[in-house]
Amino acid sequence: MNRVLLIARREFAAYARTVGFWLSLLAFPLIIVLAGGLGFLTATSQPARVIAVVEEGAAAEGLAAVVHDVLQRENERRAANLERAGKAASASGIPVRQNPIMASVGRERIRLVDTPLAILQANPGQDRDQAVRQALSDGSRGDERLDAVVFLNRGSAGPAARLWTARATDPTVEEFVRSALTTANRQAMFRAAGIDPAVVIQTEQFRPQIDAFSPKAADGGAVTLRDRLPVFIGLGGGFLLWSLIITGASILLNSVMEEKSNKILEVLLSSASATEILAGKVLGVAMLTLTVLLAWGGMGAAGLMFGAPEEAMAVADVLLAGGMLAWFAAFMIGGYLMYAVLFAAIGAFCETPRDAQTLMGPIMMVLVIPIIVMQMAVRSPDAPVVQILSMAPFFTPFLMMARLPSDPPMIELVGSMLGMFAFAVLMVWVSGRAFRAGALSDVKLNWRSFAGAIRGGGK
Amino acid sequence: MAAALTLEGVSKRYGDFQAVRDLSFQVEKGTICGFLGPNGAGKTSTIRMILGLQGVSAGRIDILGADDGRKVRDRIGFLPEERGLYKKMTPVDAIAFFGALKGLPTGEGRKRAREMLDAQGLGRAKRKKMKELSKGMAQKVQLIASVVHRPEFVILDEPFSGLDPVNQQGLEAMIRQLAADGATVLFSTHVMQHAERLCDKVVLLARGRKAFEGTVAEARATTPRFLELEGAIAPDHAAALPGVSGVEVVSETNGVRIIKAALGQGGRGQDALKSAFLGGLDVRRFELREPSLHDAFIGLTGDNPDVDQSENSPLLETAR
Repeated sequence: MNRVLLIARREFAAYARTVGFWLSLLAFPLIIVLAGGLGFLTATSQPARVIAVVEEGAAAEGLAAVVHDVLQRENERRAANLERAGKAASASGIPVRQNPIMASVGRERIRLVDTPLAILQANPGQDRDQAVRQALSDGSRGDERLDAVVFLNRGSAGPAARLWTARATDPTVEEFVRSALTTANRQAMFRAAGIDPAVVIQTEQFRPQIDAFSPKAADGGAVTLRDRLPVFIGLGGGFLLWSLIITGASILLNSVMEEKSNKILEVLLSSASATEILAGKVLGVAMLTLTVLLAWGGMGAAGLMFGAPEEAMAVADVLLAGGMLAWFAAFMIGGYLMYAVLFAAIGAFCETPRDAQTLMGPIMMVLVIPIIVMQMAVRSPDAPVVQILSMAPFFTPFLMMARLPSDPPMIELVGSMLGMFAFAVLMVWVSGRAFRAGALSDVKLNWRSFAGAIRGGGK
Repeated sequence: MAAALTLEGVSKRYGDFQAVRDLSFQVEKGTICGFLGPNGAGKTSTIRMILGLQGVSAGRIDILGADDGRKVRDRIGFLPEERGLYKKMTPVDAIAFFGALKGLPTGEGRKRAREMLDAQGLGRAKRKKMKELSKGMAQKVQLIASVVHRPEFVILDEPFSGLDPVNQQGLEAMIRQLAADGATVLFSTHVMQHAERLCDKVVLLARGRKAFEGTVAEARATTPRFLELEGAIAPDHAAALPGVSGVEVVSETNGVRIIKAALGQGGRGQDALKSAFLGGLDVRRFELREPSLHDAFIGLTGDNPDVDQSENSPLLETAR
């Protein structure tokens, strides 16, 4: 077998045969799902805050009713949301009632209860505060827990409240009360101005329907989710590229460092040329990266096909018919080549990650730039800073991927692609020289020695 | 006998540092040649040039009829000074992998690996991972990995370093077997005893220059025999003995000295002994010694092979 393939096969097998590789491969999508799912579940599965409302004095009269009304409208909105979610879910065959996530969408956030008698009967002032403390700390409403007691009043500036809460760190009740009192104040002001509050409510609830059209839309001009999908896919693709390329290049860095520290590089050099070794290792880790990509892609596709088949078809359409997959592949190859050979050359000088820090520190700092700019590229794909940075070969794979949905000029697309591949070839040449020099060198790695090795070219 | 390796006026320079100067020697096919010198003498640089891992600054190298070691890579076996194999591989996999890099089919490599491991008493280690083997076992595995493809020329860089006496003996047997099977062996060492036992020929290197090329006997013949005297003897009295051309005090404890007295051309030990007794010297031990290769090295180069010369080694050594 060809030496390059032999080295590539060994490199691939060294990682693919370990349990750790497959665990880490599964961990990433699992973390994504958990991070998203847990955030949603945390937000939707919390029990309703149980609160009691007390009007303090005659001036506060009517405020409790407004709070009731606001809460009722909020609950109606939630019910409507649940209905919409149910319709969407039933379209994909998921029974709403049996789905805990769906059910949690309509769960109430605040529940109003009768104020405990001990509070109502206590004299305003210290006695009443003491009764509230008692009620919040030991649950004086029998079995039911009380989370907060709200004393409503009306001052010279408008409606106000004193909020006693069992959990000072939870802003939920405070936010709700503030919203309710803002509504109460608005209604009072309109009423004073001779406007019917019912008209105000109706006006506030109005949501204009806007139909978006675009000559680039796929469905006869009307902009649908299918037309907005490329933006998400482009951004996701950019992040995925960054993650895969840096992961692959880092694996290569560690692999070369391990061979250097174990004195295997010199043995290899007596059996194969430095170019064959570098090519074999880059190819082996590329196969590994491809395995990761296929595994993640497969899991994502399976999840989408199961959860949202229509959206899955739209995504497939964007990737295949829209040509994004081909661009992704091209950016992946060019980007991986650039970074893989550079990291391998650095690894050839180092025996420990600490040795590599001198060069890797600045490189990793530079690599944060596309992460920041990618998000800008979604909203402002034609901003000069985004345009310029996307033409820089080191950033092209990530930023151009994120800019793709905005249809950048073909000259920029092709130009950046050519620039990236030309730079990748240059990197292969430069890093090849550094790799050859570093493989048998005992010199401490720094910018000077690295540049010297490139100039010397291993002679 | 035809030469398997010829070096003509080879020099290697790293910046301002001259590692190897005008080195010329030959290794005949089917022989064992010791490449001797202290650490830092230029042995590893020369070996890397022979293998084509580094270019020469001047001169010419011919190995197995090629002007570049890389052209005959598959016909050469190489054990580097600093050894390492993939820690998570089994010996059989590691040997087969390095054999495959030299063009040996993987199946055949695995078969030979098992046979050679069994022959070296490493049958039980076949299924273990490299990291589980002792240093001696790992070194044997690495030597097997470097010769599994049955190379015509075997280059071993300091093969005995770090091995205990038992494993050193085993390694010597392996090297003899390689030569018996027809391979040409060039091994570097700074321990002269191995070369004395193994080599058909030695090349002595000191500070990058060749100090000697020839057989072990020829090397010894360059250095006079000497007397070793022990007793309360003054060095100038020992120097005055008949046939003695020079003395060196090896040690002195409470006035008792061990003196090494070189015998000059035609000098005879018995004449010196007789004269010592007649002269009333306090001789408590008297021994007539043939020079060892170690003595020959010191005599030829003025350097001690056990003293490291690597302090001026190049900072940047590179591969081609």
